[in-house]
Amino acid sequence: MSAAAAAGLLAAAALAAGALAWIAFGRARLFERLHAETKRKLEQLQREFERFAPPDLVERLTAGRGDVAPQRRQVTMLFADLQGFTPLCDRLDPAMTVTLLNDYFRHMSDAIQRHHGHITELVGDGLLALFGAPETNPWQCRDAVLAALDMRSALADYNAKLRARSLPELRFGIGIHTGEVIVGVMGAGELNKFTVTGDPINVASRVEGLTRDLGVDLLITEDVRAALESGFRVRAMAPTRVKGKPEPIQTYHVESNDA
Amino acid sequence: MTQLLNEIEWSEPLLAPDIDPAWEAELKRRGGNGSEVDRRIAPSPWLREACLGINTGRASEIPAHLFNVAALVTSQENACRYCYGANRAYLTMLGYSEAYIRRIETDAHLGELNDKERALVTFCRNLARSRPRPARAELESLVRLGYTPAAVHEIALWIALGCFYNRVTILLAVPPEQGFEQWVVAKRLRFTLMGPVMRLLAERRRRGKRDPEATADFLGAGPYGAVLRPLAYLPGARIMKGALDGAFASQVLTRASKALMFAIVARSLECRPSETEARRLLAAEGFSEAETDKALSTLQSPRLSGSEARLLPWVRDTVHFQTAQVQRRTRELAAAIGGPAALEAIGAAALANATVRLAMLLE
Repeated sequence: MSAAAAAGLLAAAALAAGALAWIAFGRARLFERLHAETKRKLEQLQREFERFAPPDLVERLTAGRGDVAPQRRQVTMLFADLQGFTPLCDRLDPAMTVTLLNDYFRHMSDAIQRHHGHITELVGDGLLALFGAPETNPWQCRDAVLAALDMRSALADYNAKLRARSLPELRFGIGIHTGEVIVGVMGAGELNKFTVTGDPINVASRVEGLTRDLGVDLLITEDVRAALESGFRVRAMAPTRVKGKPEPIQTYHVESNDA
Repeated sequence: MTQLLNEIEWSEPLLAPDIDPAWEAELKRRGGNGSEVDRRIAPSPWLREACLGINTGRASEIPAHLFNVAALVTSQENACRYCYGANRAYLTMLGYSEAYIRRIETDAHLGELNDKERALVTFCRNLARSRPRPARAELESLVRLGYTPAAVHEIALWIALGCFYNRVTILLAVPPEQGFEQWVVAKRLRFTLMGPVMRLLAERRRRGKRDPEATADFLGAGPYGAVLRPLAYLPGARIMKGALDGAFASQVLTRASKALMFAIVARSLECRPSETEARRLLAAEGFSEAETDKALSTLQSPRLSGSEARLLPWVRDTVHFQTAQVQRRTRELAAAIGGPAALEAIGAAALANATVRLAMLLE
């Protein structure tokens, strides 16, 4: 082979290698961009998802960890419900009703999160918050009661703003109970959520209902009171019969935390 | 969710710089960098020694590359704007490409990360996050991937020390070293070209020899000795021991308040051996089992003064936190108990978190 032919071959080979490298580089760049875009979308999805479920739970689900499997554990449940809100809705403009409700939920959510709780359900003007799920919490009763006291003062602040705008004030009732429940992701088909099930959740709901009958805003059960330290000022209420329970249940009104 | 640098909320510094010229000179002599952290922790002798030890520490079992990756991931996972920014800039200075750093911080398990590195990144994230709590099995899985047991212990030690340092800077809200970060970005091209040389220098700077005096018996004497024993002969083990001994010997806060803080962190992370050790320390301070039980279940103890009593509910907020929220709570604490006590409390809380995380791996 002549020198010129060899040089030509070499040049062609170099050209081909260069072209291949260029294609590979282009593919790598394309792959990089695709990956970045997918990552961005996943992060966006995760952020949106966190509006509907506790961030820790979202983290566990997206990381594919198995620790969201159903399990029985001690959880403290806080039910809160606005009282007299339904007739108020009939009088108010729908947009105003939604604004009021959203602001109320935001204030309550801040108080609950400050004390390590997670809102797991919003139904109408009611909410259910869990303390001790998804992650365990050795101070769950204390946290739930402190959250409720913070919710009380947050509602007072919010009512002051409503009053200043000549809007009707809000009133709520809160019931807190603790007990062993099953926690896990429950649901069917397209609608699944992280929640709890078991008799204690019914008790918590009934106790919240008792706030109307007993004329107080915050009630806890004997089991919750027993877990609290002495700094909480509580007042025993008359034992009251509730639906689904053969015996009257003892509740306490929490007045303040002096600790 | 794991955050990127610009997503971390960060507040104004909790304490003003307070460093005496003698310590500043000694810092420089011993290779410290006189950073914003150094200038704020200087009033606490044990804390400043621990942080200097971490900044100048050496590793004998793991290469500097793994050391650096672990530091970046741990600081990111802890959402420490100060350390994350500094570690990121440091990696850039060592010639790591932006794409490579991005791959680590976005957890993109691609290309340049091999199986061992991926496992390390995951391990760092899990240990720093501790939700769910890490366990010995995770250490063993690293050994199966080819890390030696000593290397795995060293990795765990440095992640724990990273968690300690990150918490100190987060709770103090130390202002980020933005001057350094911007300078590195401006010189990126130069650092890219000098990368191999810089990495070689960094490798030499971090390369340490086994510490013959850090025997299991030496490390095992003192608070949380059982946690330190498996770290025998690692050059970084002495930093952890010095911090534990110094923290418990310090008089700024009572020994009982610090033992209770450790117990609360242990209970938060469900680490029984750590709680048992804290109970032992409390018993030595005259606490009965019932008193300790009561303090742990109520986050209160009549044996603590009014200002120290505030430490118990606060310390549990340092286990899992959102940066802005824990900085706000620490500010409230500092306003109530004063700067010197707050600095000591921050050091003790950071150390409790590091120690218990390390202990969980050895259970």
